[in-house]
Amino acid sequence: MSTHPIRPYTGIRIIDLTRELGSYATRLFADLGAEVIRVESKQGRGDRQNPPTVAGLDSHQFGGVPYAFLNTNKKSLTLDLASAAGKTVLSDLIARAQIVVYEAGGQTDVALADILAVPGARIVTSVSYFGLTGPYSHFVGTDLIAQSLGGIAWLSGEPDKPPLQLAGQQSVFVTSLYAAAATAIALWDYEATGHGHVIDVSAQEAIAHSLQNAIQVYDLEKRISSRGGEGVRDATEAAFACKDGYVFLAAPLALPASWNGIIQWMTEEGFDGVARLHEPEWAQRATRCTAAMRSEFKLLFERFIVNKTKQEMRENALKRKLVMAPVSKLADLQDDPQLVYRQYFQQVGMPGLDHPVAFPGAPYRLSEPLWQIDRAAPELGQDNDAVLAGLEQSQRAAGGQG
Amino acid sequence: MFPQFLKGIRFADLTWAGAGPFSTKLFSDFGAEIIKVESGSRVDPVRAGGPFKDGVAGINRSGYFASRNTGKKSLAMNLKSQKSRDILYDIIRTSDVVSNNFGPGAMERLGLGYDMVKSIKPDIIYLSMPMYGEDGPLASLLGVGMTISAVTGLMWQTGYQGEGPIGPGTHFPDHAANPYHAAFAIMAALRHRRATGRGLKIDLSQVESTINCMGLPFLEYAITGQERERMGNRSPFHAPHNIFACQGDDDWCAIAVQTDQQWQALCRVTGLTELANDLALADAGGRLRQVDRIEQALTVWTRQHDAKEVMARLQAEGVPAGMVMNSRHLMDNDEQLRHRGYWQTLDHPEIGESQFTSPPFLLDGERVNLRRPPLLGEHSEDLLQQLLGYSAEQVQALRQEGVLE
Repeated sequence: MSTHPIRPYTGIRIIDLTRELGSYATRLFADLGAEVIRVESKQGRGDRQNPPTVAGLDSHQFGGVPYAFLNTNKKSLTLDLASAAGKTVLSDLIARAQIVVYEAGGQTDVALADILAVPGARIVTSVSYFGLTGPYSHFVGTDLIAQSLGGIAWLSGEPDKPPLQLAGQQSVFVTSLYAAAATAIALWDYEATGHGHVIDVSAQEAIAHSLQNAIQVYDLEKRISSRGGEGVRDATEAAFACKDGYVFLAAPLALPASWNGIIQWMTEEGFDGVARLHEPEWAQRATRCTAAMRSEFKLLFERFIVNKTKQEMRENALKRKLVMAPVSKLADLQDDPQLVYRQYFQQVGMPGLDHPVAFPGAPYRLSEPLWQIDRAAPELGQDNDAVLAGLEQSQRAAGGQG
Repeated sequence: MFPQFLKGIRFADLTWAGAGPFSTKLFSDFGAEIIKVESGSRVDPVRAGGPFKDGVAGINRSGYFASRNTGKKSLAMNLKSQKSRDILYDIIRTSDVVSNNFGPGAMERLGLGYDMVKSIKPDIIYLSMPMYGEDGPLASLLGVGMTISAVTGLMWQTGYQGEGPIGPGTHFPDHAANPYHAAFAIMAALRHRRATGRGLKIDLSQVESTINCMGLPFLEYAITGQERERMGNRSPFHAPHNIFACQGDDDWCAIAVQTDQQWQALCRVTGLTELANDLALADAGGRLRQVDRIEQALTVWTRQHDAKEVMARLQAEGVPAGMVMNSRHLMDNDEQLRHRGYWQTLDHPEIGESQFTSPPFLLDGERVNLRRPPLLGEHSEDLLQQLLGYSAEQVQALRQEGVLE
């Protein structure tokens, strides 16, 4: 158990009825000491099966990879949610919780109305793809659908190809992060005033809130920002192939040290392409954003770096103050010298696996050790006895009132 | 509504550009007092960047700045002068949070390092969010949001099948992962201070924050030792799962079948009975093996239909589908966002009326209403006189000396 009796969310109980979009939100609280109880049907909630599952591991009992990542530090309680007795236990748990996070849609076996009907004040946060109201509220969502209807897919990819989804189920994280921050703020008010709140988070709105300046570009200048950055992104801002992979460079005129540093480096090495970069077209922001200049720079710069490794490129970025870094594979991350130095990755023992697994570490460092992964994602019903005993005890303490 | 949940909390906010201000904006939208400490001689790059109202540049005309700074107060000073530093110390003595997103060492050079700030306000909550963290061999590496995408695996994994990495088309980590991890950490620190009386220092490495948002593919790699190749818009688990060209030059609809029932419904709507009846395609594994064939057949159908119609017809039968929205679609045509009152109009002395996105949730059934962003230095005199008790003459003198900008 926690070695620090008081952590930021110690004493806060959260009933977790999330499946995919909201699970990271409740994990953020759990990592800071909240008691987060996943209430599941006897068969287990469907998110345990979200792919990929792990070969040789019973995903019904242990969950797959997304489940393992999104549910650290949480508890699992199974109830027969179709029975009156099961519903009563859930109501009793909700009555003793400060926060309920609920995910609408899909195979939900708990109704929002039943959560809201439980007496007492608390924060009820609903997380869904399109929100609880409006013409899309019954639409079926997925990460790709949210990235499309939210507008981020339009902005990514290349002009002569389809819009492009971002990797890693980003709508899950964007939505959960907004949900967690809003829930934390509402809890602050609840604790000050005793007023409960209902928060209705929409993944589509969360994505549309995170489109850089595309909304303002259209509103104020009536231009539509599009993928590929044609007319917007500088020729230097892209991933370029080097000897052993790719590097990302940004050296627009707005970052003069980076641009001048590249020119200087090419000059020092006697690279013949540098003369071209001294010509007047390269001194104008507008021309540098055209498709022709982008292709030309790519050819030129890749010729310059064809025999340079990612590590050499990073060393030069540091030395010459260039905005440039390797494009890391996931496989590179545990060898990133900065992340190694900061001991970023955490080894977490996972039930059912005979060896610990590297997890990303804290998303922020606090000057006291308040963030920690105490335990892996729970097995199905792992905490039945403890949660039910705790509930009984608190009911006895309250004089037997249910 | 104008929620006052955080009334009484004050920030001395030195964040600038994208990620930092987007974090502190959430606090001003909920009633905290965010004193944006700016410089007129070294202007926030987002004030200087566009877009501008009617395309006409001006430090108070940037829509990008406006969208990141609603409801804040602006104090504009020459931060290099000792007098401005003293003013800032006075403000910090009355503040709960000091926030910045400069590179490592910059706050120390301004006399605002954590130890200094803590010595004048022992229970301060101090947020730093440099790209790679405060210490370590790469701490001084320079970067923008796309650099963070590059070093976290997000750029490597995002791209078309069989081609090189592309990454998000925006400085994506600046606009969600990092500002809202930071906001969550600040709320946790406020609670911690309330419970213990102690402040906290928050060192948010934007790289470390963003890797958590790559946690799903990272953990798969960590468990299996295998890293997946880029797949464009496809899924390794489901098919069809892609973005399809529709009628028109650049109109698209995403279709993401997750279940065998959805597959059958898709075939019904599109009239692809031959595929529906092909037992080899009855489950996801079979469909993944013949994904090219399925996508080609579907594209023939989507090309003949309007993207919005494709979405509506498929969703009516429970098939996950969504047209790919651009900013015009979202602002002018999207019925859902309009129904939910997502767009807010705010008036501004130089920009006039313009549109803002609401915080992406309804609170007790209502929108969180925004207050307009500040002009550069708009609140300097009020803050000095009302918060710090300076006289009008003192303020005038500071302005003449160039301390106030």
